[in-house]
Amino acid sequence: MSAAAEAHEHGAHPPPIHYSSRVAPAILGMFLFIASEIMLFGSFFTVYFFDRVVAQPSEWPPPPFERPWFIALVNTCILVTSSFTMHWATTAIKRGNRAGLQAGMVLTFLMGLTFLLTQVIEYHRIGFNTADGAFAATFFGLTGLHGGHVFVGLTILLVVTIRAFRGHFSAEAHHGVEIAGIYWHFVDVMWIVVYFTVYVL
Amino acid sequence: MRRGSLVQLILLGVVATAITGAVAVLVPWLPESAGKEADRIEFVYWFTTVIAVAVFAVVAAVLTYSVWKFRVRPDDDSDGPPVHGHTNLEIVWTAIPAILVTAISVVSAIVLAQNGRAGDHPLRIKVVAQQFAWQFTYPDGKTYGHLTLEKDRPTQLDITAKDVLHSFWVPQLSQKQDAVVGQHNKLVVTPTKTGTFPVVCTELCGLGHSIMRSRVEVLTKAGYEAWAKGGGVTGGRRPPGLTAFNQFGCNSCHTFTAASATGTIGPSLDKLKEAAAKAGKPLDAFIRESIIDPNAYIAPGFSPGVMPATFKSQIPAKDLDALVKFLATNTK
Amino acid sequence: MSATTHDIHSTPPSHGGSQPRARSAWTAAGWLRVLWTIPLFGGLGLGLVCLIRWLAGWDPVWDGPPLVTVELVTIPLGFLVGLGGFDYWAYYASGKPTRPEDHSGHGAYSWRDYFRINTDHKVIGIQYVVTTIFFFCCGGVLAMLFRAELAKPGDQYFNPQTFNVLVADHAALMIFLFIIPAFAGLGNYVIPLMLGAPDMAFPRLNALSFWLLPIAGVMLLAGMVTPGGGPSTGWTCYAPLCTHQPLGQVFFNMAVQWAGASSIMTALNFLVTIITMRAPGMTFWRMPLLVWANFTTSLLVVIATPFIAGSQFFVMFDRVMHTHFFEVDGGGYVLGYQHIFWFYSHPAVYIMMLPGFGIVSEVIAVMARKPVFGYRLMALSLMAILVLGFSVWAHHMFVAGMAPWLRVPMMVTSMVIAVPTGIKIFSWLATMWEGRIHLTTPMLFVLGFLSMFVIGGLSGIYLASVPIDIHASDTYFIVAHIHYVLFGGSVFTIFAGIYYWFPKMTGRMYDERLGKLHFWLTFIGFNLTFFPMHYIGLQGMPRRVADYADRFADFNLFISIASFGLGASTIVFLYNMVKSWRWGPLAVGNPWRALTLEWQVSSPPPIFNFDEPPTVVGSPYEYGVPGARHAIFGPAVREPVPAD
Ligand code: HEA
Ligand code: HEA
Ligand code: CUA
Ligand SMILES: [Cu+2]
Repeated sequence: MSAAAEAHEHGAHPPPIHYSSRVAPAILGMFLFIASEIMLFGSFFTVYFFDRVVAQPSEWPPPPFERPWFIALVNTCILVTSSFTMHWATTAIKRGNRAGLQAGMVLTFLMGLTFLLTQVIEYHRIGFNTADGAFAATFFGLTGLHGGHVFVGLTILLVVTIRAFRGHFSAEAHHGVEIAGIYWHFVDVMWIVVYFTVYVL
Repeated sequence: MRRGSLVQLILLGVVATAITGAVAVLVPWLPESAGKEADRIEFVYWFTTVIAVAVFAVVAAVLTYSVWKFRVRPDDDSDGPPVHGHTNLEIVWTAIPAILVTAISVVSAIVLAQNGRAGDHPLRIKVVAQQFAWQFTYPDGKTYGHLTLEKDRPTQLDITAKDVLHSFWVPQLSQKQDAVVGQHNKLVVTPTKTGTFPVVCTELCGLGHSIMRSRVEVLTKAGYEAWAKGGGVTGGRRPPGLTAFNQFGCNSCHTFTAASATGTIGPSLDKLKEAAAKAGKPLDAFIRESIIDPNAYIAPGFSPGVMPATFKSQIPAKDLDALVKFLATNTK
Repeated sequence: MSATTHDIHSTPPSHGGSQPRARSAWTAAGWLRVLWTIPLFGGLGLGLVCLIRWLAGWDPVWDGPPLVTVELVTIPLGFLVGLGGFDYWAYYASGKPTRPEDHSGHGAYSWRDYFRINTDHKVIGIQYVVTTIFFFCCGGVLAMLFRAELAKPGDQYFNPQTFNVLVADHAALMIFLFIIPAFAGLGNYVIPLMLGAPDMAFPRLNALSFWLLPIAGVMLLAGMVTPGGGPSTGWTCYAPLCTHQPLGQVFFNMAVQWAGASSIMTALNFLVTIITMRAPGMTFWRMPLLVWANFTTSLLVVIATPFIAGSQFFVMFDRVMHTHFFEVDGGGYVLGYQHIFWFYSHPAVYIMMLPGFGIVSEVIAVMARKPVFGYRLMALSLMAILVLGFSVWAHHMFVAGMAPWLRVPMMVTSMVIAVPTGIKIFSWLATMWEGRIHLTTPMLFVLGFLSMFVIGGLSGIYLASVPIDIHASDTYFIVAHIHYVLFGGSVFTIFAGIYYWFPKMTGRMYDERLGKLHFWLTFIGFNLTFFPMHYIGLQGMPRRVADYADRFADFNLFISIASFGLGASTIVFLYNMVKSWRWGPLAVGNPWRALTLEWQVSSPPPIFNFDEPPTVVGSPYEYGVPGARHAIFGPAVREPVPAD
């Protein structure tokens, strides 16, 4: 009962939280979230391999379809580069270099945007649509799922960029940037896996 | 613990075993087996039951004993002895269940392997499931709406489906296998008793799932050969409509004397004339409509949506014409 | 419902509502704003679909299924925006300087505070429990309806379509909107208290994940009444059947997505809270077993749930976008769906059981006045179940025609799960042994759980044995198994938990006599209803049938009557809850003389649980150990925190 007794005196002000781990909650949360994101992609890869390996299609991709692997490769390079600029932005703010942060964020955002638009155009020109069999289904499934993640990533980047220009973040407080960075790197790495499975393999 | 209480506990255990055992033995849980595979499965079942009864009896005994002996009045605020664990005990109740389940697994694996063997010269029957009917095609090409088997002859069923998942099950034969579109699943049954048993579809397959039933008739060797000669629906000299009638499974849901079909899932086609009259349509038009758009007119006593609406796309135009002609001319 | 959390605090803070506080009631977060945000977002969704279809040059620009799908995303978003679920983040995104959290969204001072975005884990816990009980009743009423249909062979009240819809939504409501979230709710209330933390790690996320539930529930119920009929494919909605379903199927798919999202968010929250917010001295090996249970469960959720999300996406795409993930004639692989579905849905059955195990450990230790027997092994067996749980999914597919070589390995792993589970059962028995057993209502439900779950588990062993499963699969034997583990297992533990923590949550005591009555009615009705199902199943009655062979008529009539009794027993429960919450005698802080932290504070606990983190100095179950303490309060003598 002791705690309760004292509780009455105190107003609506929380006690100091005792942290039992060195990792910041937000960062741990982001990593766990990414774990479940990976499983979501996992389910899409599973259905991909069921349709491609277990269902034993005669040819993959079934003629006359073909995969625009070159455009996608260019796209891949853009996305990978964006990961580096993101890293630059993060390290910049850690050193308290706001200009670096702003430049890095803007570059990253623009490259991400280019990637997404390229993909949309690719969809438009690709010559087959979702209804064209298991190949098309898994193709649009995986790339589409990833596209969705790029979109979410871009939204987060946009927020960080805005705040960066509104004068937030500093050498001490930069979790916002860091977490956005972690997610963006994840989207990036995931794309490389998707690219190899869908376009190259 | 004291000697007396140990005795009491053991007594409780005996009682629990007796009761659980009685429930297990006195109730005829499984249907009377009519096949080799079923016998083997029944063996696994009993093997598992012995273990299950023992396990449950132990739990029940200890539970009731504790409640009976260690229960205290609400106002008693004493605490129990601070026992935190007992390594050997924990090892025991980790090891014993491990051994028991391993035993069950081994027995099951062996039986599973045996139940998969069809011998050298099995009777091979193609089973096609569709909403909501079964078709059984014999080596000689004859197709039936129900299954006929020869006693003591291993039979290998080659099961597939046309539209969605179904599942072939004969409770007395215990064997079960889903019918999957684009896949040919094998199932072995070896009937050991003559008689008629139900064929049940156990995989939810749509509106008619609950009435997607057929029957299996097990005949003696002689009886089977006699049956195999006559009956059936051979290829060759027959009205094409009749072929279609069986090919698309009409025979498994409808009664139609001219095709010696005795299905009862759908209305009897011997009464088509009256039905057409009720629906106020010319016979031919009515039949055609009823096939391609089953829900346009629902015969009294039957619920809509049971007959699949997929025949429109399934039956080629000329087969459809033949079918309509066949029905129109042969209905009473 | 005013006599609830924190009304022990004399004066609520001057401001209510969640931030940022706006001028007009129409723009301030709340139900008024919902009134216009829903149509707004609905319109946006419609515009979006038409625009895309127009740009892509598809016609008709106006197409039913895709439109519905998008609306099922945007309208709920509109609801959440209106309610204020995203206010803080919107504020953050717009780049304004973050204000220090002023806790205006915290605590409940009147019943209204339960109907808004509330960031207090105690309020959210109660919101969860009440909501889930409501959906339990809905699911149960559906069961009552189709039991009425099954009382006689032949079609009485419902045609096969409606019947299948009833069954599907019965199961979906019970699983996705009762059991899983009910455990999440109890955990939400208790875990921070047990850890000595002031709240969850992410209070706003916590609030959001609760408000996804009503969305999912309403969506399921709405799916039943959509034109063209609801989802009639059982809760497993196997392809290819469910890719040719009426529009209601899309509602089902999306509802599962919302519920899944909700439980993933909660799981993340639990994990982070448990890892980062334990009180000083609360090492992993000093955590109460309920916390351990929710820790393992949350891991299961985070890893497995995305797979059901995937499976529902695929069938929905097949249905809406005419893809061929599982359509053979398009090169798809039919059984792929089942593999993906069960890779979630088997772990899901442990998601539905492990928290219950935790509750049982808490209640037994307290009510038998003894330390939990073999504490470490109890925690480790949870972990073992977690790992094994991922290696058994195909035991639902023994007759499905999957790769034959998968059968035996899956059988073995399924069997092996009996070992860790057995360890827990026997350890609980040993905990009671020579204890001082108080047969209170929670304890009764725990005892009921012990006996019934063992039956259900053993029938699970029958099913794990491939040959027996080949006979029993997709019959009422399965239905019996389901209910012995889910009702006799999960639901009994949920009841136990609700009764056990009722005084803590409401500050009042429930009516013990009504509680006992509820237990006995439920226990008897439960067995009368579900035990005969073993028999008719093995005898040859398949599941999911509206009509059945006449020889099962008598049994089904009996089962139906018994099931109505079972349903009625719930009314006793509801009456007891409402009455006691309103008029029950005030409860003291620690009515059960328990050691765990949540009982060391007042009932209901102060708004921030503890004035400063208590210092944990020992195991939470040291009953009977003279002078043993679990935690020290007040100006704590900081003892060195053992690293783990
Ligand atoms: C709370 C939910 C829950 C739990 C805990 C379990 C637990 C188990 N289940 Fe169950 N199961 C379901 C919910 C659950 N199940 C549902 C909902 C379905 C149907 C899905 C659908 O198709 O709709 C299902 C279906 C299902 C099937 C598929 C049947 C079919 O469709 O053909 C199988 C097959 O192996 C199975 C097995 C098991 C096993 C081996 C366990 C084990 O974990 C049980 C372990 C426990 C014990 C064994 C008892 C205690 C142990 C001891 C006392 C030690 C001594 C014991 C021995 C030596 C044996 N279950
Ligand atoms: C936790 C899970 C859970 C619970 C609690 C229940 C509870 C019940 N279930 Fe269910 N059931 C499932 C999970 C569950 N079920 C699952 C997963 C399936 C498989 C579905 C499938 O095949 O896809 C299933 C299937 C299933 C079937 C097989 C259907 C079929 O295959 O054709 C049957 C048949 O009898 C059944 C019966 C019942 C009954 C009588 C109850 C009773 O316990 C219900 C008791 C009633 C109540 C608890 C509520 C009553 C309340 C009131 C009447 C008053 C208050 C009302 C308000 C305030 C609104 N269930
Ligand atoms: Cu065919 Cu059920
Ligand atoms: Cu399972």
